[in-house]
Amino acid sequence: MNGIYAIFTRELRAYFFSPLAYAVLTCFLFINGVSFATLIGYLNDVPSAVGAPMEYFFGGTILFWLALAFVGPILPMRLLSEERRSGSLEILMTAPVTETQVVLGKYLASLAFYLSLWLPTLVYSAIVARYSELDWGPVASAYLGIFGIGSLFLAVGIFASAVSRNQVVAALIGFALVFGLFVVGLLELMVNDEGLREAIGYLNLIQHMEDFAKGIVDTRRLVYYISGVGFFLFLSSRALAVNKWR
Amino acid sequence: MIEVRNLTRDYGDFTAVDDISFSVEAGEILGMLGPNGAGKTTTIRMITGFLPPTRGSVTVAGHDLLRDPVRARRQIGYVPENIALYPEMRVEEYLSYRARLEGMSRGEAHSGIHQSMERCLLEDVSHQIIGTLSKGYRQRVGLAIAILHDPEVLILDEPTVGLDPKQIIAIRDLIRELGSQHTLLLSTHILPEVELLCDRVQIIDRGRIVAQGTAEGLRREWLGQRQLRVCFKEAHADAATALAALAGVEKVTPDSPSGAEFGVECEGASDPRESIFRLAVERGWVLLELVEVKASLEDIFVRLTTREDEEGSGEDSAAERDPTAAAEIDR
Repeated sequence: MNGIYAIFTRELRAYFFSPLAYAVLTCFLFINGVSFATLIGYLNDVPSAVGAPMEYFFGGTILFWLALAFVGPILPMRLLSEERRSGSLEILMTAPVTETQVVLGKYLASLAFYLSLWLPTLVYSAIVARYSELDWGPVASAYLGIFGIGSLFLAVGIFASAVSRNQVVAALIGFALVFGLFVVGLLELMVNDEGLREAIGYLNLIQHMEDFAKGIVDTRRLVYYISGVGFFLFLSSRALAVNKWR
Repeated sequence: MIEVRNLTRDYGDFTAVDDISFSVEAGEILGMLGPNGAGKTTTIRMITGFLPPTRGSVTVAGHDLLRDPVRARRQIGYVPENIALYPEMRVEEYLSYRARLEGMSRGEAHSGIHQSMERCLLEDVSHQIIGTLSKGYRQRVGLAIAILHDPEVLILDEPTVGLDPKQIIAIRDLIRELGSQHTLLLSTHILPEVELLCDRVQIIDRGRIVAQGTAEGLRREWLGQRQLRVCFKEAHADAATALAALAGVEKVTPDSPSGAEFGVECEGASDPRESIFRLAVERGWVLLELVEVKASLEDIFVRLTTREDEEGSGEDSAAERDPTAAAEIDR
């Protein structure tokens, strides 16, 4: 437990010392800001299209998914690949910590940084609440969805980082895997078989987010994220154990 | 303190370490000597638990490294050959991170960091960023982390590689001091270093231990004959033949182009120094030097490792024979 905490705090500090993290933070907030401003402008102009702006903001736009799909693999891309490239993995793995502890400590650091990316977006909800009616329930469940899907994408990203020596390659592998998870859900629209369609529908992340934004929390979806996170973290720690020296 | 049993490591078809067994007693300093690519780093990485062995077992301070890796690693302080630290951290900050990683309590960490910085002479740079330190200082930070948690065993892989002469002396002094408090295993390809620092030596070549013992014992075992150096004031045409004719002399080789200096190899343990002196007096040759040449470990090393080569596939060393495998090991 000590090991996880030591690694977690070190990595979190390293995030706040690295220029890349600030570049990601800036882009992320810029994209979300554009998304929010456009939505508000649009909903103001067309009185007939009244709806809850935050419901559209969370998952209702392509910008939301674009930001999430990039942030997922980019935040953790450095975490394990850089240790391996520089050789610092050697003194890390000869310390009395297990591979699982290393993976967990680093994963939790990326998760904490991810959450801090979203923190400023609370302002948007506050703005809406200030000038109109806002139901905070769906906002809370939307953030739960962001947390769940983000956790999954970051776990995929750290797995990609565990299998590559090069952080750019790690980001690309991560992006491909995240894209795969995304597309699997979209197959729902292409299959004719009723049962299969329903099964695939469970994996449709767009549908998940739309429901979360409406305030619908489906525990099956949370189970999907948790097991996905567990699966990818397990693979990461195995990948780390099996080929440390390469 | 360290027990290594039948340790073997294959990289594909290439066997980097081939069935090595040895032990290091508590308080001992053992030097591992070998040419580049001999398997020193691979052996060390298996002992520190970084690299899983293909076969064999390692026990450190009573803990089996494969069955109880975390407890065994707690007893090891390890400085790899090319130590990679996190460049953006400050020295003291890095040490306190390592202390937490080692599971030390706040109080232990505080005194441990202070002591290891003092012993490794890092106090002047404690607030400097690691990326800006010179190689010698980074090596010392490596040593500081290795002794931070006061382990039973210290393992150093090529501790003086890439340092300037002044830094080498400083690091050696430090190692000697650490050797009085820890069991030490160190690898090197620098021969005088072994003689200077180690109680016991083992010579490794092509993944096997080809000789082991104290430096003195190895000399006796591998260079049985006495070697003498004879130097006259002037060259004398029949000096070589006259020397060779003496009882107890096996071989005479001219040592310099002037023809006045000779190397004399003696038969077994016989000592022909007296007869050489009498010969010189008899002939009226002025004798400037008559000394016994102490064989250095270097001679033994060259002899052992080249003899193996001649028996093998050719003259080239292990590293040249299989460059990819050697690069892999050295990394």
